[in-house]
Amino acid sequence: MATVTFDSATRIYPKSDRPAVDGLDLQIGDGEFLVLVGPSGCGKSTSLRMLAGLEEIDAGSIRIGDRDVTDAPPKDRDIAMVFQNYALYPHMTVEQNMGFALKIAGVPKSEIATRVAEAAKILDLEDYLGRRPKALSGGQRQRVAMGRAIVRSPQVFLMDEPLSNLDAKLRVQTRTQIAALQRRLGVTTVYVTHDQVEAMTMGDRVAVLKDGLLQQCDTPGTLYERPANTFVAGFIGSPAMNVITGPVVDGGVRLAGAVLPVPRERLLRAAGDGGRVTVGFRPEAVELAPEGVPVVVNVVEQLGSDAFLYATLGASDDGDVLHTADLVVRTEPRSAPAVGETVHLRVREGGLHVFDPVSQQRID
Amino acid sequence: MTTLASAPEQTATAPAATPTRTRRRGARKVTSAGPLTHVLLVLTAFLSVFPLYWTAVAASKTNAELAGTPPPFLPDADLFTNIGRAMEEAPIGLAIVNSVIVAGCITVGTVLCSTLAGFAFAKLRFRGNKTLLGLVIGTMMVPTQLAIIPLFILIAQLQWVDHLQAVVLPTLVSAFGVFFMRQFLSQALPDELLEAARVDGASTMRTFWSVVVPVARPAMAVLAMLTFLTAWNDFFWPIIALTSENPTVQVALAGLGGGYVPDTAVIMAGTLVGTLPVLVVFVVLGKQIVGGIMQGAVKG
Amino acid sequence: MTIASDDPRVAAAAAPPPSVPPAPATAARRRRSRLTRNRWGYAYVAPFFLLFAAFSLYPFLYTAYISLHDVRLSDLDGAVFVGFGNYTELLQDEFFWNAARNTLTIGILSTVPQLAIALGLAHLLNYRLRGRTFFRVAMLMPYATSIAAATLVFAQLFGHDYGLINTLLEAVGFDRIDWESGSWTSQIAISVIVTWRWTGYNALIYLAAMQAIPNDLYEAATLDGASRWKQFVHVTIPALRPTILFTIVVSTIGAVQLFGEPLLFSGNGMTNGGVSNQYQTLGLLMYDQGWTNFRLGQAAATAWTMFLIILVVVGVYGLIARRRARAER
Repeated sequence: MATVTFDSATRIYPKSDRPAVDGLDLQIGDGEFLVLVGPSGCGKSTSLRMLAGLEEIDAGSIRIGDRDVTDAPPKDRDIAMVFQNYALYPHMTVEQNMGFALKIAGVPKSEIATRVAEAAKILDLEDYLGRRPKALSGGQRQRVAMGRAIVRSPQVFLMDEPLSNLDAKLRVQTRTQIAALQRRLGVTTVYVTHDQVEAMTMGDRVAVLKDGLLQQCDTPGTLYERPANTFVAGFIGSPAMNVITGPVVDGGVRLAGAVLPVPRERLLRAAGDGGRVTVGFRPEAVELAPEGVPVVVNVVEQLGSDAFLYATLGASDDGDVLHTADLVVRTEPRSAPAVGETVHLRVREGGLHVFDPVSQQRID
Repeated sequence: MTTLASAPEQTATAPAATPTRTRRRGARKVTSAGPLTHVLLVLTAFLSVFPLYWTAVAASKTNAELAGTPPPFLPDADLFTNIGRAMEEAPIGLAIVNSVIVAGCITVGTVLCSTLAGFAFAKLRFRGNKTLLGLVIGTMMVPTQLAIIPLFILIAQLQWVDHLQAVVLPTLVSAFGVFFMRQFLSQALPDELLEAARVDGASTMRTFWSVVVPVARPAMAVLAMLTFLTAWNDFFWPIIALTSENPTVQVALAGLGGGYVPDTAVIMAGTLVGTLPVLVVFVVLGKQIVGGIMQGAVKG
Repeated sequence: MTIASDDPRVAAAAAPPPSVPPAPATAARRRRSRLTRNRWGYAYVAPFFLLFAAFSLYPFLYTAYISLHDVRLSDLDGAVFVGFGNYTELLQDEFFWNAARNTLTIGILSTVPQLAIALGLAHLLNYRLRGRTFFRVAMLMPYATSIAAATLVFAQLFGHDYGLINTLLEAVGFDRIDWESGSWTSQIAISVIVTWRWTGYNALIYLAAMQAIPNDLYEAATLDGASRWKQFVHVTIPALRPTILFTIVVSTIGAVQLFGEPLLFSGNGMTNGGVSNQYQTLGLLMYDQGWTNFRLGQAAATAWTMFLIILVVVGVYGLIARRRARAER
């Protein structure tokens, strides 16, 4: 078991000007479950592959424990990896797949058998040890891929979107099982996903990447409560946070003729540039009120426990909203307004996030 | 970012655990064949097979019977007499043994060389790999004629004339084989499988034997069948490198056909004996060979 | 994808890669070629290229060398440099022009019907059929038959007195034809052998390509009201164009080298291609020059000429294909 440290790790693909991963700094604690999340092309998989030794590190370094592994080949890093497509050897049985690494390492046969049997027991694969991957279901293959990693008792588990080939229901189940298993084994784990729900439910901490740059790395709670910038604010949480930029007026920001109150000190720090400010509020942080920002309801989504209103800011002749964003609002399903109705919104106490309109950074 | 992560929706449909052959079989037209289609196909099949059938007929007749009108269309009892005479005229037994050895060695060597090189071209990045691959493809255009004079001088100097290695060694070079294996492995061998082996600690050599070869096995089998067939039937170089003292089947047949007085029944008997082994193999493995050729065609 | 080289020294010993000067490790951007560059690649391609160098490249160049010399098979060491003498002599040689003409006509006679029939056959095989495998295997049987066997059989079938084909012609009221001695008839007979051996093979190649055409193209065409023939012309043929070009190139290369069929068709082992050389091809001429007349220099010049012909023809095909592709864009 070990810590993992990325120290300004950078990867620039040949024939590309922009780094795929740009000066990544990240400390992962011993036994921690860290999730790398971000949209396609953000560099999350590249970061994982750099840690695995499958991708060169053009600048900076990576350490596992106290050991600098920047130039070490994968086999000398004491890591195990679970691939998105599982990458099971098609001609080997489940047992052979799980024992392959040990066999190469020269572990005695009897010990291989014991360790494979143990892992198979944990993963409920005992009945399938003699089968080839072709004869297994998707979920079973996924477990074999996990088993192959577990058997080696590595210092770090690396998982590259291991659930994306499962159907939705199985994915939810497996996600819980993997998280529980990781806590039980206590092995440091780096997990890549593009699914923010997966990230939030599984990780001790979540690192959000965009365009090769680390945006924020923190616990799921903090990411949700205090997103460091508008990107994280929009990426984490579903439905996404409403983010709007508008002109600063006395006591708040003007939206569709009404004023959304913003605490004075934060307003002052944000208003430095051209008298505008970016505010964000989550759908569930809004309530309908007799007075407030007017919006026109376009669609009402009834989910049973909740209802979501998809609305646009109400008519305003001074064109003061700089981003005519669509807004999402959660309401009680019973008292949801009708389509076409104009309602007024108020942000609940503590539900407002303020961002610098230029740097997009959070302002507290 | 790797394509893996940037396009999960594409890779998701094809789990790496089962690198199924991606040949499209679904694109089959719904239309059933009409009677005319069947008639034409039966006619073609007949024309394809008839000369071979006639070989068997002619091989089992006396020359006098063959000259009769109408000509005979059913096999007869003189087959073994004719084969016996053909064996006297040319060392057909020796030729078959030689052909088995030659075609066997060529097949093993070609499949091995082609798999090694095909893997390297498909999956390894090394300086100059594109140039070398271009060279391989270019080689396919070079006519056999261009090499035989120096090769003949070479084997003459090595005193290899009439020795089987003179036929085996030059024929081991199969640009087609390299290209064929490269095309197959680029598709059938997912990069992740090699990465998994790397993470598992396998050396490059170990990866080749434990991961690449098992995945390549179907294509290796197809290549082996095609190579064996080609080697068995090869004519131009063997007829230069060997004499009728130590011939392959084709050389023996050429000797038989070039006799002073053509003896139809004997020539046909020899042709039958020399062709039968491959035809038997072909009938047994015909389906696989057909599949292999079609598979190679789509990839090539 | 790459595999890290476990021990580059081993690979380097097997096939020394071009030396890479060790780049100084700068703090800003280190070059680590170790992880993605794989010198094992050279070790893997080495067996092929060693054989290639010994039995293809070296002979290839040596043939060029010989073609500039007067070399006799009987006296290999007595080579005399004659420059392009062998080539100029060749171009003035009526046998060369005769062989070139024969190669061209036999090439056309064998390639054009062969590919046309193959295309039609592939279309038929692409219908839903009972006994699919049987038809495919039956049509590939000639491919499995060697040139020698096929030619011997067809030489009998085309025989003057007792040949089955003449018997058949007579039965339907025609005269017997002396296939072997006539110029056109012998060339047609040889083309028939080539066509017989290769039609089924090419049909399978076309069939494979046809099956790769997405079905929705046909569905769309059907919805647009295109008849089956229109679909064949407007969907199948365009989709098959690369494959057709490929088969044309392969057949052409084969046709230029044609050797075994004309050699064995005479039935007497002579290399002159008939009494009046009526079916002597370039391949046969080259063999005749080298192994009958012992003039290896001359034969080498013919071999190189054949290669140049292939290059020119394939180059012309490539140009036509590119122009067509551009015209359609």
